Amino acid sequence: MRIRIRHIILMGFSLLFSISFALLVQVEKPVQVTLKTTQKKYQAGDKIMLDFAYDSTLTFQLFLKNSYGSTLLTSSSGQFIIPEYLAKKRGTLDYFLIHNSKCVFKGDISIHANSDTLVELETYIGPPSIVAGDRDYTMHVVAPTDRYDNPLPDSTKVKFKHQFLGAEKEYEELTKDLIGWRNIFAYEKKGKLLVSSQIGETDSKEFSVEIYPALPEDFAIESFREHNYADGNQIITFSTGIVRDEFDNIVANGTMVNFVIKNQEGTLLKAQGTTVNGIALGKVLHPSYEDVWQVQAFVNGIAKSNTISVVFEAVLEDFEVDFDTSNREIVVGPLRSFMEQIIPDGALVKLEIYKDNKRIETKVKTSFEGEVRFILAEGFYPTGDYDFDISSLGVTKTFKNITLQ
Amino acid sequence: MNTSTNKYLIIALLIGVIFHGTAIFFTLEYTYDALIHLFFGNHYATSWFEPWSYSWYTGFTVMGYPPLVHQSIGLLSYIGGLKFGLFSVALIAIILFITGVYRYALLLTSNRTVAGYTAVLSVFASVFIETLHVFGQLPSIIGISVLMHALPEIYLWIKVGKYKYLINALSLIAVTVTSHHVTPIFGMVFFIFPLIGMIIMDGAREKVNSYKEVRLKHFIQTFLAFFKRIVVFGFGSLLLIITCILPYWINTKNNPITQVPIPHGSRDNFLEVTSSGLVFFLIPWGILLFFLPYFWYRFFSKRYLFFGLSFTLLTILGTGGTTPIPKMILGDNAFNILTLDRFTLWASLMALPMFGEFIYRFVEGDLKIKIKERYGSVLHRILGGLIGGGLIFMTFFTICLGYFRPLQPAQIKMLPILNFLKQDQHDHWRFLPLGFGDQMAWLSAQTDAMTVDGNYHSARRLPELTTRAVERLENSKFRGVEGIGSLQQFLTVPEKYNLKYVFSNDKFYDPILYFCGWQRLRQLENGIMVWEKLNVPPLSNVLPKDTIPLFQKLMWGLIPMLTVIIAFIINIQFIWIHGLKTKFKAFPVYFKFGVEYASFRKSVFRISYLWAICICIVFAIGVYFAYVKNATQIRPENVIKAYYDALDFKEFKRAYSYVHPKSNKSLDQFMLEVSVTDGLLSSYAKLDELEVTITVQTDSSAKAKVMGNWITPLEKIEKTFYHEILKKGSKWYVLPLDYDLDIPPDQLFSENVVSFYNHGRRRITSEQTHHEDVLKQPVLEVLNAAIVKNEDQYYIIGELQNVDNVPSDVVVTGTLYAQNDRELATYNVKHQMKHKLMPKETTSFRMDFEGVAWRSLEDNKPTTFDPDQFTAANLDGQPTKFNLQCAGNVATVDLYKGVVINDISIRENGVDGVLFNSGLQEVTIPQLIISYYDENKKLIWVTQKYLPEGIRPQRKLYFEFDFLDLTKIERVDEHMENVFVNGLSNEEISNKMVPNRKSEYMQSQLLRVLGKGFNYIKIEINNYVGASN
Repeated sequence: MRIRIRHIILMGFSLLFSISFALLVQVEKPVQVTLKTTQKKYQAGDKIMLDFAYDSTLTFQLFLKNSYGSTLLTSSSGQFIIPEYLAKKRGTLDYFLIHNSKCVFKGDISIHANSDTLVELETYIGPPSIVAGDRDYTMHVVAPTDRYDNPLPDSTKVKFKHQFLGAEKEYEELTKDLIGWRNIFAYEKKGKLLVSSQIGETDSKEFSVEIYPALPEDFAIESFREHNYADGNQIITFSTGIVRDEFDNIVANGTMVNFVIKNQEGTLLKAQGTTVNGIALGKVLHPSYEDVWQVQAFVNGIAKSNTISVVFEAVLEDFEVDFDTSNREIVVGPLRSFMEQIIPDGALVKLEIYKDNKRIETKVKTSFEGEVRFILAEGFYPTGDYDFDISSLGVTKTFKNITLQ
Repeated sequence: MNTSTNKYLIIALLIGVIFHGTAIFFTLEYTYDALIHLFFGNHYATSWFEPWSYSWYTGFTVMGYPPLVHQSIGLLSYIGGLKFGLFSVALIAIILFITGVYRYALLLTSNRTVAGYTAVLSVFASVFIETLHVFGQLPSIIGISVLMHALPEIYLWIKVGKYKYLINALSLIAVTVTSHHVTPIFGMVFFIFPLIGMIIMDGAREKVNSYKEVRLKHFIQTFLAFFKRIVVFGFGSLLLIITCILPYWINTKNNPITQVPIPHGSRDNFLEVTSSGLVFFLIPWGILLFFLPYFWYRFFSKRYLFFGLSFTLLTILGTGGTTPIPKMILGDNAFNILTLDRFTLWASLMALPMFGEFIYRFVEGDLKIKIKERYGSVLHRILGGLIGGGLIFMTFFTICLGYFRPLQPAQIKMLPILNFLKQDQHDHWRFLPLGFGDQMAWLSAQTDAMTVDGNYHSARRLPELTTRAVERLENSKFRGVEGIGSLQQFLTVPEKYNLKYVFSNDKFYDPILYFCGWQRLRQLENGIMVWEKLNVPPLSNVLPKDTIPLFQKLMWGLIPMLTVIIAFIINIQFIWIHGLKTKFKAFPVYFKFGVEYASFRKSVFRISYLWAICICIVFAIGVYFAYVKNATQIRPENVIKAYYDALDFKEFKRAYSYVHPKSNKSLDQFMLEVSVTDGLLSSYAKLDELEVTITVQTDSSAKAKVMGNWITPLEKIEKTFYHEILKKGSKWYVLPLDYDLDIPPDQLFSENVVSFYNHGRRRITSEQTHHEDVLKQPVLEVLNAAIVKNEDQYYIIGELQNVDNVPSDVVVTGTLYAQNDRELATYNVKHQMKHKLMPKETTSFRMDFEGVAWRSLEDNKPTTFDPDQFTAANLDGQPTKFNLQCAGNVATVDLYKGVVINDISIRENGVDGVLFNSGLQEVTIPQLIISYYDENKKLIWVTQKYLPEGIRPQRKLYFEFDFLDLTKIERVDEHMENVFVNGLSNEEISNKMVPNRKSEYMQSQLLRVLGKGFNYIKIEINNYVGASN
């Protein structure tokens, strides 16, 4: 018979038909799988094996997924051993049994924190310093975990302990949402708070929280000086009493106290000191002219002291002034102090020079061995009449119509 | 035909290598540029193909400079380290230079002996010694040397036309380009064009019988004949110049040099600034100055005519700012960016063959015969001795220049600094070296840590550096106060660049560091003080960088070395062939054109020695003037200037020598009086200007008014002194001024002080600090804050208090916003605040907004300095609100509060007063912070004043300041919703920490004054205690 086109077409169709039939025939009958492992809850770190029963000639794959990642295992024996890095993490582990790229079984197991291993504590304390009183507090947080860093389940009992001055206290709290915490309120006294915690047999290390004194209260001041004379040389010391807060704590070392001095002219002088064991000192030189000082101290914006009054007496009433060498050399002194002693070096003498009632210059010099010498050289001061005002240590003397040659 | 090796050349090479090769070990590391080349070499050695370097300026590209020398140093460093690479490259440069000069001289003079003489003389050429041993400019030397090697090849190509010469010439040009970009470009104009002119002249000469007969028409004919070859060569070199360093051109186009011109000595007027004249004119020319007429005579002969023109032009350009001509020729822009010392370098090198020729004729040629005939052999010997002596003197002087006037600070041991940077993650922040000179490049080469400063100014990217004319930040002291402006900006806002550590090698910068809020950390074993700033975040892990296309990186990495290899192969091949083959080798063509040294022209001889005598006279006059000007006791003005100069340099014995012997002061007494004065003016100031006016003068006495301007790191100080000067014998002497005679009351006294210690990390671990070792940030409270406007400038002022129980370092950052919450400017408080506060201490503050923005060059060109001027921020909008971020960190140092106000008197327009130091430490620089209040006791303005003298314990200091006119101050905004401390809201802090604040306590401390626009003032004191040494 001759092969004609239609034969070829017919053969082609029958070939096609039989192939597709064969393919269809390859559709499987559903595979029967049963899970032999019954345990659904595990502890982290356990050896977890999922055992499936099915036709042992077939190869299956198990797709595992938890919140840390996913992986694919292959086995032909029906037993899948969950890898350690998945088995030690707390959470839900989903698994999908796969055959020929189709999921034939799925389920999940839950892994719990391992309660048999030693508990590990992660503790935080903050802030590390608080202020005495009833308003400030620090927070103690404990995050207990098992050996694999899984947080322990809620309602784990945590013991919070702290020690302050004489008292040691212990509290129990339950963990919630992975942590257990407690606020430690400040005491009224200043000092160091030592803190620790405990779960079961595990103890934490020691933490410390510093309780600082609260805001200073008003305080008293007093003054010390060697003598009452305004010699411009000795030092007067203003001292606070012990500055305390409302709970009687001595304020922290270094607290700044400002001393404000109002003199008779109404201007304000200022000194400051930092407290050492509650006492701050401010040191100022005596004025060099008689004066009355009103002194008050402040901790800015927070506390103030009483006002004390300090009187300074003039150290001299009068002094000599000599004009030499055609009035061009003015010798002031010797300046004598309260015991007639020569005043220590450095006393200020001011010479104001007037010509035609206008001040042309002010010269200021310091004393040496009680005397001050002003020299008015010809180059600067031509011949003529001048008026002079000489003042020192609160006393002023005027000389009019002095002729310079 | 003599083909044996030239013995003069061998001698030159031997002497050169031994002399220079040994000397570089003592000089090269102290030069200006060599360490920078070392740094670049290190960059290539560690990352050959990556052009981005993080080390300087927050990152920059090394494609800003041709790489050949740096890559060679990098390659050689693999053998023996970086310094080995540097010295090897320097040796290669020396050899290339000597041989280059030889070949150039041979080309020019066609006489092997003369060329040999030139080679020997080039070893001692002062310009070469200066460029190598003082400046350290290796790329420039290699560039010009290889160019000189190329000149004979170019000649042969254009004259003869064989392609092998063209290839050779172009290969050498390629090496020149990759070594130094400026040399081939300018070299084209100054060396190659004249060479081409000479070739055409030679060609024209061949048409006639002597040079005299060459006419313009011959010249043009020859030119047209050679035209094609000239064009081929020109085109080839142009192509090479562009392609060999193509990435460099691309980089220049993308990052144009917006650098404000940096003052450079070569642009100075050499008559006014004699030190520049010495370094950039007298030394490079050296004894060549004496032979200038001979050079001009030879260079303006027909053959060398074009060289003559080029030589003249180079000489003029090398004179810098002495005449206005260079500026006119180059144009303003090029004049200010280029350094002009290269023109003098090229001029001297160009003249070397003529010098060699002269010496040859003098030693064994016709000149010798002439002199001997006319003047006898004695004169000849004397002249020879003088010339030789002059040469030796210049050589000694130049090479020892660094010994007499150190160009860098004393060598610093880098190891302690490297250790510090490696410890404790200190290299996670940027650092800044101050007072290191060029050694900072060597430091950068040895560490991965990064610095904001850098050593190649054309590569600067940071706006603070490009808008200021400072070569290196750390040299800002030498640029007067204007240079310090940019350092202050870095120190005020260091967070912007993650700058945390400053290595200070110079005490000069200490005050500015302190007053900007920095504190001393510790002193390293090599004497460097480390300063740190708190509250600076570390660098992020990923830093920005420019990415360059791969093809550019490959070109940059491969082409330079390739040019060297190719040039090497080509040239060695020729020598190899010539050496091996016994084929008869003709002399190069240029030998035809040699000149016979028959008779030395009489006129030339006469002019030469007249010129030499002229120079000697000019020199003598100069020396006399220098003597008169500097002779210290010849006139009253001189002695005063010398006295202050000696004090400025702390040469107390010399200053004492100017004090009148009858003033009854012993040297010990004098030194004691001077040494007890400390403070800004005596310890940290550099005398800038001194104006001496003699008010009265007789023949034996004078009165002088001395007005001095001192530059200090904080501000410019003007102070006037009055002196009397008396003449004794023939010299004038100064009468010393009085000093304060006050003595303190107590001989020995004691005080209870509070001092603190912070362990830092209690656990010795390289991990991150444990949580429990981190201290809480001290709580600050901002009492009030507001934006004020004063004369079109906006400021934020306010007061804050440390309400915690530990001392705190305070950083205040402020931001101004426009109406729609658009940010206008942000800055930190600089020095109008006490940066360290004890518990419960208050301070006022004022924040100025300084512009750091990139501005056009015209705005920022420095002309004269005004201490009150600063770059105001250019705000594009009106600020309506502000945001204040304050940060406290525990402070344990710089807490001295012992200065009190002992007396105050209020004048009509100011305040006089007395400060008293009641504590145990000497205060080096006291600062007054003055706050002004209105009639409601509300803060309206804050200002500060530095006092120029220090206060010793238990001593007084008089101060005065004038009131400001505050009538024009406007308050813009005082809403404090956006004030935060340590990230928390200021209002909540206020409510919690000091709920019942009694503001009247602070208000009662205000001084009542009736001023222009204010009614009360308050004075606070901030103390800087200097280092104990």
